Amino acid sequence: MTDQAQEYTPFRDSVKGKRMRFFEAQGVDELANISLALAQELWALRARYVLLERAVIEAGLLDPEGVAGRPDALLDGDGERQERQEFIDRIFFTLREEAEALNAASPAEPEPPHLS
Amino acid sequence: MATPGLTVPFSFDEQCRQGFTASMRTYVLNDLADHMRDVYEHRTKPTFERAQGQPPSSGPEVHKAMRRETIFKFYSALRCGVQEMCWRSVIPGVRRAAGDLNAAAASMSAEAADSGRATLDVDPSFTTPSYISDLDIHLMPGNYHEEHMPDDISQALIYDHGFDVFSMKLLGEKSDDIARSISLFVATRFPELKPERIADLGCLVGHSTLPWKERYPDAEVHGIDVARPCIRYAHARSQSYGQDVHFHLKDAVDTGFDDASLDIVFSSMLLHEMPPAEVSRLMGEIYRILKPGGLMLHYELPPNSLTDTYDSFYLDWDSYYNKEPFYKPVRDMDMSATMAQAGFDVADQVTFVVPSETMHGAQAVIDSVAQQDQPLDERISRLVEGMSWFCFGARKK
Repeated sequence: MTDQAQEYTPFRDSVKGKRMRFFEAQGVDELANISLALAQELWALRARYVLLERAVIEAGLLDPEGVAGRPDALLDGDGERQERQEFIDRIFFTLREEAEALNAASPAEPEPPHLS
Repeated sequence: MATPGLTVPFSFDEQCRQGFTASMRTYVLNDLADHMRDVYEHRTKPTFERAQGQPPSSGPEVHKAMRRETIFKFYSALRCGVQEMCWRSVIPGVRRAAGDLNAAAASMSAEAADSGRATLDVDPSFTTPSYISDLDIHLMPGNYHEEHMPDDISQALIYDHGFDVFSMKLLGEKSDDIARSISLFVATRFPELKPERIADLGCLVGHSTLPWKERYPDAEVHGIDVARPCIRYAHARSQSYGQDVHFHLKDAVDTGFDDASLDIVFSSMLLHEMPPAEVSRLMGEIYRILKPGGLMLHYELPPNSLTDTYDSFYLDWDSYYNKEPFYKPVRDMDMSATMAQAGFDVADQVTFVVPSETMHGAQAVIDSVAQQDQPLDERISRLVEGMSWFCFGARKK
């Protein structure tokens, strides 16, 4: 069954070759990716927090009425997906601001006064 | 997905990261893509028209104008970022499980391969074409072909588990909706076709190979690919699902099949990973191996000649930023002429738009057979309303 390859390479986490860049200012592409990774880690942390909260409520150590939101919605199919979409929209809200503003814009919006 | 015996056990945090990545991808491809289109319609296009006296007339003109927009920069940066996350969210788990799963795959394959019931044809001297091995296609670290240890399936595991995150489970539990839908369409549209031999070219891990065996259980089905880990994994995966399918490490332009020996030759998202000259060679090879009356069918995104300027820009994005350099050149090709040069008469060429069975149900696929005489523009516009698969090909005389 063994059919050896010519050579073995180590596992890689990074894409080889030229990296894609979209922003003129140095470092902005990296910052966008750091924001993305932070949001991902925050979500994993939030999921752990909800599990813990649920366990604490079940153990009778915390009054469910005293906990805001719907912790049981997390990690539960559609409820979890919906929570994630709302979570992402809150973090990246600024990216829909411009499109919404353009959609809703009135051509007759009065201009602010000119600074002389 | 969870292929029996070949599934990586991910930790709780890894599963959370994968869930986030799937939702983030939905956000980029739905919400951000809509916002980007809004900015184009409300600002980029009117600004272009004022300056040039007409709207952009091609995908590249839209692309150049959009590159200056902040929304394009964020859409693109986040789309690349989340694409890499699809793979990176599964790599640590694959790395941990690789030794065990390599052994499991070899064990699953052994009996069927040794007995000849389902061939596992891996030529030790085969070299993956450099236009594949020189880059990490789809921003997947290690690409499809790299090997990290003997008898390795790791890169196929990364692809299969990462694809599960990438596809947001829209393609069904076995990620097989494309060929499942198209094979049902073919069986309905061509009832006289009783295939004895079928090949899936560029089969990767067999997502689009197994549905042909399920549709035509008596047929001999073959998967062909240029990546060793994928061929090994595809074979073990097919055995895990109880399907005897033959897999070969070969280049689709040189399959080794006898002349006129196949009834159906299929490919799914293969052509746009090949340079146009290789696509032309491929058509010639398929013409050679098809029996008279045999059917060739390729699933791809619609060519640029059938999409409007904005959609051309949008669909060609991958060619520039997703390490798929041949995507645009292939979508720019005149496929009808290419098929004709290979020997397929224009009169025998076909184009179908097939609804997704997972999303719309089997009856919608069957009903669509009667709707294929509608103008192509109308059929393609339906691609955006639900989920449908554009495919084209020809019958050999």
